[in-house]
Amino acid sequence: MATPQIILTSSDGVDVAVERTVAERSVLIKNMLEDLGDSGEAIPIPNVNEAVLRKVIEWCEHHKNDPPSTGEDEDNRRKTTDIEEWDQKFMQVDQEMLFEIILAANYLDIKALLDVGCKTVANMIKGKSPEEIRKTFNIQNDFTPEEEDQIRRENEWAEE
Amino acid sequence: MLLSLQNLPEEILHYILCHSHPLSAAALQQTNNRFGDVTTSALLWRHYCQTYYKSWDRRHEIQKKFAGSAPSVDWKALFVARYQIDGSVTRLLDSILASQTGRIEKFRAVIEFGYDAKDALLENSQVQWGDDYLARRYYASALLTCLHRSIAIPEWVKLRRGEAVSFERALGAFDLFIPESGYGDLDEIENSMAHIVARFVASHPDFDSLNPREKALRLASWLRANEYIGIEPGREYYSLEHNFLGMALNTPGHNSLPLISAAIYCHVAQKLGLDAHPCGFPFHVHVIITPQPGFDMDDRPVPGTEQAAPMYLDPFRGARETLVSELRDQLIFLGASDLEQSEFLGKSFASEVVLRCSKNILNSIHSMSRHSDIQASSVDFVSAKYAALWSSMLLSSNLQPVDLRHQLLWLMELFATDFPSDIFLVEQYIVPLFNGLFEHDILKNLHVMRAADEVPKQIRRRSDKNRNIHYKVGQVFQHRRYRYRAIITGWDSECDAGEQWMRRMGIDRLEAGRHQSFYHVLVEDRSVRYVAEENIELILPSISDLPRSLTTIAGKHFKRWDDTARAFVSNVRDEYPDD
Repeated sequence: MATPQIILTSSDGVDVAVERTVAERSVLIKNMLEDLGDSGEAIPIPNVNEAVLRKVIEWCEHHKNDPPSTGEDEDNRRKTTDIEEWDQKFMQVDQEMLFEIILAANYLDIKALLDVGCKTVANMIKGKSPEEIRKTFNIQNDFTPEEEDQIRRENEWAEE
Repeated sequence: MLLSLQNLPEEILHYILCHSHPLSAAALQQTNNRFGDVTTSALLWRHYCQTYYKSWDRRHEIQKKFAGSAPSVDWKALFVARYQIDGSVTRLLDSILASQTGRIEKFRAVIEFGYDAKDALLENSQVQWGDDYLARRYYASALLTCLHRSIAIPEWVKLRRGEAVSFERALGAFDLFIPESGYGDLDEIENSMAHIVARFVASHPDFDSLNPREKALRLASWLRANEYIGIEPGREYYSLEHNFLGMALNTPGHNSLPLISAAIYCHVAQKLGLDAHPCGFPFHVHVIITPQPGFDMDDRPVPGTEQAAPMYLDPFRGARETLVSELRDQLIFLGASDLEQSEFLGKSFASEVVLRCSKNILNSIHSMSRHSDIQASSVDFVSAKYAALWSSMLLSSNLQPVDLRHQLLWLMELFATDFPSDIFLVEQYIVPLFNGLFEHDILKNLHVMRAADEVPKQIRRRSDKNRNIHYKVGQVFQHRRYRYRAIITGWDSECDAGEQWMRRMGIDRLEAGRHQSFYHVLVEDRSVRYVAEENIELILPSISDLPRSLTTIAGKHFKRWDDTARAFVSNVRDEYPDD
């Protein structure tokens, strides 16, 4: 039996059809559907454009059978920057798209996707010197030499 | 505007940093002003403190800080201090592994960090590979257990001084000597007990309506039914692990000797408002429960100031009241005087319970060594014996000097061979016990240890003069006569053990006599021996053929196992550079 479909409208006005169970990976959408009932009307997602929305839905499709997070893994998020293989491939996008996905996951309240996105960024920073980080993310150095010197001294412990 | 890391909201950046290593936060802070606040926020560094380090030294009062009840905490500074201690501990450990000289001072430096050193030691004690994994594991574990002992011993010292110490802390101290118990802190043992109390309370909503006798019996039957006390059928009663409160709490089946069962029972009973104490009945510890003043065990008022009779229980065997007349009959049968009877039937002090536990441990070791299954014990018997000796030395008040001296010899021997990092504990707690007795002997002993530690080892090179030495440090052999397996840790070109020893051992009756090469060896039963070359039969095992006890202590002298040479790789090259 096909599961019921709902319609999401992206910020750029495109209607995207999606299985209800898939869309409910988003706590925001799940709550909306519960509060409003399924009227069959399109649900506006004003903060997410079509390209990003489709990407997010792709992720939700793949993960639709994952067990719901229990909240217990809150502590386990610490050191583990392990990301499963499919997610790694999924996150091989340009930086702008990566950040868009993170923002969308945050807005739509999809914790597992937010985690994967943040871990991906964390891995991009990992083990890099300040200069290498600037290069990777195209960050301008806006410190005065004095400021830079002071902050370096503050963080000398990290260089041992 | 293109979306970039710099214009992500603060909240998202914080979340990314929570997934990052603290070093990443430090690096990001140095890239641009934008990241100044988010990379230095108290919340972030509190998170790092909480997730990266499990053990904190007492002086930090870390629980108070995490609970938010401490005044403003500089979390980043706290993290950095802890991070630097980790670095120092690892450097000290590296240096301990690198040379046999000057280890005592390095031990001291690590131990002085207290529990701040624990995480780094724990990590090093579990390494699975690397150039020196056996040595690393050995010395990290040695320091770790030394840290635990430095928490345990003061509990017994308090008892000695007559201060109050709860039964679970006094008995839990034994667990801290035993790495296998998994406890690193007495509070953890108290928490395990609190868990049992909570379970009982939750399943007995009507408990308050019972009278004390019913309460006492109900608790005993529940503890027995849930296997918190007693020993499962078919298990060896004298098993070493049955002596340890923490192990009993921590393992499935919770098997324990009557003494430990009684301690568990009394703890829970006291939390439930019963006046329960272990009672020092010979051979089998019972529990004595005294009613509230003015009432008897059935909650009936008693006239005047008279104290109603207590009840006796043997929780080890379950919910059956033991009549005082039965106990008295047994004591009379044993020939106990009236005075002794009232002593045996009275409440035991924590120090008596500790001493009794100490004796039980020595009995278990004795009993197991007769059945020769001591190597298979799930508890390291050397550590157990060491715990028994420490507690006995600190708490025996009526030992004869001869016995005391005897115990001291045992303790000093164990300490010197297996626990040299405890030298500070011995100096602090054992030496003062012998004030005016044979204090000087101990001090001399310690002095010799320190001196030997400070002087670099005499270098033993291979040359034409000692061509007769055929085997090398690290090789494994089986003794031709006694069949035990052992590792060679050193050699002499002829017997160097002194005339008296040679005579006693009948060295001249060997085929090649005393003028053959001799080897210092580490045996699978953990003993150290001196063996003539003619008794050595090299074997080429794979590491999985060797008992774990042997590969564990191998770390004392060896870096790792070499699977090609089928021998251990020496870590005593400062002494035997050619082996």
